[in-house]
Amino acid sequence: MRRKKHLLFATFEDFDKARDAVTELKMLDLKEMVVDEIELYSPIEHPEVEEILGEFHQPIQRFTFFGALTGALCAFLLVAAAGQAMFTVQPQGGKPVIPIPPAIVITYEGTILFGVLCTLAAFFIYAGLPRRMKKYSHYDQRVSEDHIAIEVTMLPEHTDKVRKAFENCGALEIREVTQ
Amino acid sequence: MSTYSMKDIEWAKINKDVLASLESPRALFWVVLAVCALLVLCGVAAEVYQYNEGLGVAPMDRPHFWQLYISNFVFWIGMSHSGTLLSAILLLTKADWRKPIYRFAEAMTLFSILTAAIFPVIHLGRVWNMYWVLPYPNERGIWPNFRSPLLWDAAAITTYATRSALFLSVGMSPALAICQDNARGWRKKLYTALSMGWMGRASEWMAFRKTYVLIACFLVPLAVSVHSIVASDFAMSIMPDWHITSFPPYFVAGALYSGCAAIITLFVMLRYLFKFEAYMTTEIMDKTAKLTFAIAMVWNFLNLGEYASIWYSNDMFEKEVLLQKFFGPYAPVVWGMLICATVAPFAMAFEKFRHNMWAMFWLSLVLQLGMWLERFQIVSPPLASNHEPWTWAVVWPGTVQLTLTAASFGWFTMLFLIFCKVFPSVSMYEVKEMVFHRRHASSRAEMEDIGKIKDEVVRSEEGLA
Repeated sequence: MRRKKHLLFATFEDFDKARDAVTELKMLDLKEMVVDEIELYSPIEHPEVEEILGEFHQPIQRFTFFGALTGALCAFLLVAAAGQAMFTVQPQGGKPVIPIPPAIVITYEGTILFGVLCTLAAFFIYAGLPRRMKKYSHYDQRVSEDHIAIEVTMLPEHTDKVRKAFENCGALEIREVTQ
Repeated sequence: MSTYSMKDIEWAKINKDVLASLESPRALFWVVLAVCALLVLCGVAAEVYQYNEGLGVAPMDRPHFWQLYISNFVFWIGMSHSGTLLSAILLLTKADWRKPIYRFAEAMTLFSILTAAIFPVIHLGRVWNMYWVLPYPNERGIWPNFRSPLLWDAAAITTYATRSALFLSVGMSPALAICQDNARGWRKKLYTALSMGWMGRASEWMAFRKTYVLIACFLVPLAVSVHSIVASDFAMSIMPDWHITSFPPYFVAGALYSGCAAIITLFVMLRYLFKFEAYMTTEIMDKTAKLTFAIAMVWNFLNLGEYASIWYSNDMFEKEVLLQKFFGPYAPVVWGMLICATVAPFAMAFEKFRHNMWAMFWLSLVLQLGMWLERFQIVSPPLASNHEPWTWAVVWPGTVQLTLTAASFGWFTMLFLIFCKVFPSVSMYEVKEMVFHRRHASSRAEMEDIGKIKDEVVRSEEGLA
């Protein structure tokens, strides 16, 4: 049977308070190992979040690189295969079987197309999208407006400690959820 | 000049203002939409007539097999470059003033490509054979000819359209999540499906930003390649005035120029129709106008360079076409282009002019007219005085071609207005970011000023002591 997930979802007025809360939770975790997972929700991107939550491992550029490489190869092979096939049914005296300059153009477009598609695939994988919103009934719509939220997954016995940390840092509202 | 300082806008107000634009545009919005729909209907009627009667009614006959449809194709492809400029080049150069206006420029890119893609189909005459450009062999084992620039066009435009649609839809996910939180009925269902469950998690933002920058890096060379390939449609031929080495950069500069002019037109239109005065400020218009002016000068340089290289090459066929362009039957088109696209942009050198929204609106229309004439004078005059004098003939576009041209403007504007009515045309999260960073920058500057004053006071006290 799947263990139930216990979490607290706290909403803050601004990013500074949320940052203080995460720092305090990290300190608490260092001492007593209370937190399983921390997630920060914000209406805009805060690159400095990596300093407190740790670096995100999202090697999207590798997908881009290998996607582009695959695209280049596929496009060139397509033109080459078409050239070969055409040569057998429609011989063209004096002309190369696989013409390089036109092949470069198609290869170039293929590189970009596959590169972009693979980058998008990587985005969906690392952002965890698309997802069903039904599981996130505790999500506060104010986050999409001007609030910051922190979601902490932990064992039920640590709830009070985490709640206290949130309250100390000025959380506006704390929601407790068991999924 | 708008005195509204953008750093003072509250985040909640940004949401409120942009969401309000989805509900209640000005009454003129519906008038413009109706006119556009009417133009589209006229275009459909013209196309049905041409489909039944043949391309002769266009009229398209020897030697004018390429005419207004191809000019329009080049014009609309060029228009699509504005989105690239605003969403990719200015993103990579970290110009934050683009943030309130780049979303509609991206939408413009997509709809321009969709409009452009119609013209090769119309131009083909036998529209049912359009699928021949797809890369697969027919029953006799013959593949499409990959050596032809026309097929490169198909590959480039498909890539560009795919990328533009994906870039736009993914880029809108954070904004659609906001819409989803505030919508009801069919809109809520639509936004929920398109936002894909975006919640603004830190991991989502990190992946989003990386993806956006990576796609932007692809977008710049892609846009350059698309218009270079369109230029190759002409430059790869041996026609005088088409077989020119500088055609690809000339086309790219022209595309950016007409794209920028279109941004100005839509900027003023959206600002008025959707009441975006607080976001589409004079400051942003000023920067857009300066950018347009700079690109106009680049285009002018390349244009003059083209004339000079033809003149000094002393090729009799090339020279003949050039002289025919300036003094022949197409002279009004060429001189019209020079007045609209070379002389008129100098108005943007004046600050007072740049800060007048309606003056900029009319000027942008003049610039676009100039660029449209430019495309026409690229396509038609060389065909009228080519290598074979016995085929020389002047053919002007007829009612069918002109109707379809007008319909393309109606089609583009209609799609664009519907988009702006259904989706947020100002990127809410990027404007919030801009406000956030500007506010922090100004408070940092204030703190530095206070620090300096304190230091001076301490120093003067020490001096007194």
